[in-house]
Amino acid sequence: MKQLYYDVKKCLGCKSCEIACAVAHSVSGELFKALREEVLSLPRKKILFSKNSNYPVSCRHCKEPKCVDACMAAALVFDKEKGMVLHDESRCVGCWMCVMACPYGAIRPNIKRKLPLRCDKCKDKEGPNCVEACPTGAIIWQEEL
Amino acid sequence: MSQKQFVIIGNSAAGIAATEAIRRRDNASKIIILSDEDYPAYCRCLISYYLAGDIKEDKLSYRPESFYKENNAEIFLNKKVARVDPKKNRVICEDKNQFSYDALLIATGASPKIPEIKGIKKKGAFGFRSIKNTRDILAVAPVTKAATVLGGGLVGLKAAYGLKKRNVEVKVIIKSKQVLSQMLDFEAAGFVQRKLEENGIEIMLGQDAAEIIGNGDIKAVKLDSGKVFESTLIIVGKGVSPNIDIVKDTDIKMNEGILADDSMRTNIPDIYAAGDVCEGFDAALGMHSINALWPIAVEQGKIAGANICGENIGYEGSVGMNSIEFFGLPVISLGMYKLKDGDTGFEELKISNIKDNVYKKIILKDDLIKGAVFAGNIRSSGVFLRLIRERVSVSPFKERLLSENFGYPDIMEFVKDKDEEKLYV
Repeated sequence: MKQLYYDVKKCLGCKSCEIACAVAHSVSGELFKALREEVLSLPRKKILFSKNSNYPVSCRHCKEPKCVDACMAAALVFDKEKGMVLHDESRCVGCWMCVMACPYGAIRPNIKRKLPLRCDKCKDKEGPNCVEACPTGAIIWQEEL
Repeated sequence: MSQKQFVIIGNSAAGIAATEAIRRRDNASKIIILSDEDYPAYCRCLISYYLAGDIKEDKLSYRPESFYKENNAEIFLNKKVARVDPKKNRVICEDKNQFSYDALLIATGASPKIPEIKGIKKKGAFGFRSIKNTRDILAVAPVTKAATVLGGGLVGLKAAYGLKKRNVEVKVIIKSKQVLSQMLDFEAAGFVQRKLEENGIEIMLGQDAAEIIGNGDIKAVKLDSGKVFESTLIIVGKGVSPNIDIVKDTDIKMNEGILADDSMRTNIPDIYAAGDVCEGFDAALGMHSINALWPIAVEQGKIAGANICGENIGYEGSVGMNSIEFFGLPVISLGMYKLKDGDTGFEELKISNIKDNVYKKIILKDDLIKGAVFAGNIRSSGVFLRLIRERVSVSPFKERLLSENFGYPDIMEFVKDKDEEKLYV
């Protein structure tokens, strides 16, 4: 199973990954069109600055996911074959139990859309968009260590 | 593995989690699930969204139809247990059916408390806990002009929200001086109250219903102040009490709920308790307490299931917590949410911004987080929950706690992460 890793020494905090993530999850998939969409696509990854370094934070698809246990709508499930936490938007009511339960603070609420913002590893594409977008190669997409 | 028979009383969060935990370890033993309800497992907490019309009834199902078959679990619906007989390792149902067990999980949940108010038994007053309650309420909602909710807790306010979305005029009668008094401090409660009032829900604080008036059907509510107003529908949200009747004549130790240790065992061998009926250990309070919340029931059910299969898993205890959302305002409360008179040695860190609808409060003692309340901005609240549970001293990052960018990177070197969870190289 491939996972996202981060070389923090290389991260400049430029947020190119955030933009690439928001674009990847927009309706059009293109930056300038995405900016004009009715509901602005938000990134599922956030750079947090701490102790003089930048840390990209996003869902890490835990094998014992607390968010799945916490989901009172059964919208979050762990798919063993894919090794991913999947989210069924049609079931989600935006109760934010997952936000409360995530021990990494990696799920952010999209209040307007009443949906949690979580990395889906760009499931419909070749690989996560953020990897290519990173100008310094700080984001590593590789088999789990 | 020898074939055993496990009986689970209760078919909701804890019962289902236990079933799954058992089947992860044991495919041979027999699992029998007894439910006094009419439906396969459903998302109990979503009934307010169903009442509101936000979701259809089909979204209430908690597991696919094939769940029981796939997990080789025998489900009995409408099967009300009369009593547990620990001496003979058996469960006796009201219809006289009996089930023997090698291990028993009591996950019977809780029922709405109905206060002793004159007229409360009249037609048109409902608890709000089940699909059945919701269907009953929905049946009369279209012809209801004015409804009254008794109680300003989570269930009451959610019911008020649901009715309002159905264009019913709603008054919420609250005995205490704030909404959500079991979850929020006074100031945070103000944020929620304003949001509800802005959206047309009337909140009446410091009052109680004295009488439900009507000749047969409900016509009006009379308050203890003497005030009377029209209302044909009453929803009671005055808390719940654990469903412990079936064990009351046994030696199973109880306080308010069934007492269970950190592995969800009761004092009787092979009998476990989990979920809203269970009074387990509270990691924030350092004592036994009922934390009736869906995620906690799942967590406890998982542990009970594993231990039923012979494992010996314990956990650090639950933390009283909750997450709600009203009209775009998210609110999360963790552990201790307010200080009581006489509490000493505590420290509060706080941001309160009414204009932007943002409230954050953290309660500390000796640099350990004892509780937190967030409204408007709930980001990274899971990180705070973790700091409470793992009893991490915040002294290295205390000045960052209220910062907009506080998050996992600030705490990562101080918490217990397994090596495979390390993503930063």
